[in-house]
Formats: sequence, C-alpha cells, structure tokens
Amino acid sequence: MNLERYRRQILVKEFGQRGQETLSKKNIVIIGGGGLGSNSANIFVRMGIGTIDIIDKDTIDITNLHRTSLFTQEDVGKSKALILEERLHAINPEAHIRGINQKITKENIESFVKNADVIVDGTDSVSLRHLINNVSLHYNIPWVYAGVYETVGMIMGVLPQKTPCFQCISQNIPESIPGEIPVLGSLPATIASIQCNETIKLLLGKPLAGLIIYDVWDQCFDVMNIKRNPDCPVCGKK
Amino acid sequence: MIITVLVFGRYKDFAGKDQINLDISIGNTLRDVVDAFVKVYPAAEKDKSRMMVTKNKMYASYDAIVSNGDEITLSPPVVSGG
Ligand SMILES: [Zn+2]
Repeated sequence: MNLERYRRQILVKEFGQRGQETLSKKNIVIIGGGGLGSNSANIFVRMGIGTIDIIDKDTIDITNLHRTSLFTQEDVGKSKALILEERLHAINPEAHIRGINQKITKENIESFVKNADVIVDGTDSVSLRHLINNVSLHYNIPWVYAGVYETVGMIMGVLPQKTPCFQCISQNIPESIPGEIPVLGSLPATIASIQCNETIKLLLGKPLAGLIIYDVWDQCFDVMNIKRNPDCPVCGKK
Repeated sequence: MIITVLVFGRYKDFAGKDQINLDISIGNTLRDVVDAFVKVYPAAEKDKSRMMVTKNKMYASYDAIVSNGDEITLSPPVVSGG
C-alpha cells in the first residue's frame, strides 16, 4: 500500500496508520450505483477501502446526472456498475473494484454479500432494503442504511442483534411510493458522506451514532437513539 | 392529560421547538397523538399514516396505548430514495 497517498488522512488522530491499514483489508459491497452509491463509492475508493463491489443492473439515465458522482453525459445508456468500476479503478488502481451489472434478487443476494465486511445501501426501494436487512441478520453482516427524499436524508448503521434493524424503524412504511421520488441534487452526496463515515467507524469497531436525520435545506440535524424492538419480526426474539 | 412529545427533523421547524405538549385523553393511542399533532401542525398531514413514532425509545405501532410519563417521539417517515 502506498501510504503517501493517505498521508493527510493518517494524520487524523481518530484514524491513524492503523485505521488506514485496516481499511485496506476490508471488503465492502455497495448495492445500487445511483445518487447514494456513486457518491459513496467515490469516497470509499479515495479513502482506501481494499475491495469494493458495486452491484446495479440499471443503465445511466440523463435524469441521474443531477445527483450522482463520476458519471458524464457521454455515459448515458451505459451500465452504472461497469462505468463505476472503470472510474474507481482510474482513481485508485490499488483498490480491487468489481462492477456487477446484475439485478439483486432474494435468490442471488447471498452470493454477492457473503464475504462482505459491510453492505452499503445505495438502493432506491424499501423492498430491496428489507432484503438487505434480512440477509444481514441471517449472515451476521452489518449494513448501513441511507435514504433520501426531497431535502431530507436518513442514515443508520445496523449491527445484527446489537442495534435496531431496518424493520425496527420502518413498520409503517409502504413498500413503494407511487411516482418519482423528488431529490435535491446536493442531497445524496451529503448523505452518502455521512453514510461513509458511519461505515468507516463500523469497520474500525467504533460505536455508531443511531438513526441520523438531516434536512439539508433547514440545516436541521438530529440523531435519534432508538432501542431494538423485542417484537421485531426480523431481529426480535422469535 | 397533557403529554410531552419530542419532535425531530422538519417537525422541529413546524413546531419552532424540539418538544411540544399535546392534550390527549386517558386510554388514547399513538394514533391519537399523531392526529393531535397534525391538527396543530397541518403541514405534517401528508406524513400522517407513515410517521416514525417511538414510545420509550422504541419504535411503536399506532395502536399502542399512551400512558402518563411515556416518552413519545415523532419523526418524519423513513426515506427511501437513492
Ligand atoms: Zn429489528
């Protein structure tokens, strides 16, 4: 590993050379390469995560460009996962990057995430997040939820059987919201940055913040301390 | 009875503060708390069926009964865009 590249980061006392070396050995899987996933992938590869898989079946659409990172207008119509693989490799050739141009399903999710140290949420659907949540609990793999809507973002790291899971906080949420989800262009980058911080802390064994709610328009930042629900159908005692 | 409710996210802006008092009846549920909140702050109406509600730091169903001294929080619904 070329430590010079990370010199300014290693100077951060909470992080240090030990943090850098730890990240270089970690394997993360980002599910979804859109607004959140492209921004988090960009940050993770620069910070020095050793292995990054990005899974997304979609192609880049002109309507993605206002909130994504690394994509250009020339990429419209191309695979998000494969373009991200190419760009991330160019940013940091030391990292092992794999763009996987496939749709995540209940049947195949295990094969993609079973070796992950953490799963990073870059999806745009509630049902996919429930799928990630289930596999996380089943295989004891932590994951970091993030979502955006209009000017509001939420982030929560899930440590299986230790912290509340996604089901614990989302029982009233319908599986899908009709119509297109409105998103301010600056929001996913902001929320993905916070999601990356929580992910890095998780990888370094530091305590997580809880459910973070950030409205970037009003500059209203909250951290909610929620307990696990013992009756949760996913993480509760059966 | 008067209960104190902690509010998060944009509900703090609606209320202009981070905790509010609501008047509900004995035996009322969290649904009644949500209804009382929306009545005072109609801007939250669109979230009415999806709000994140906790009772004593735990996510709770709208059917849960509220007792005197419970710590109730109301937050905007979990967001799902990416
Ligand atoms: Zn749970």
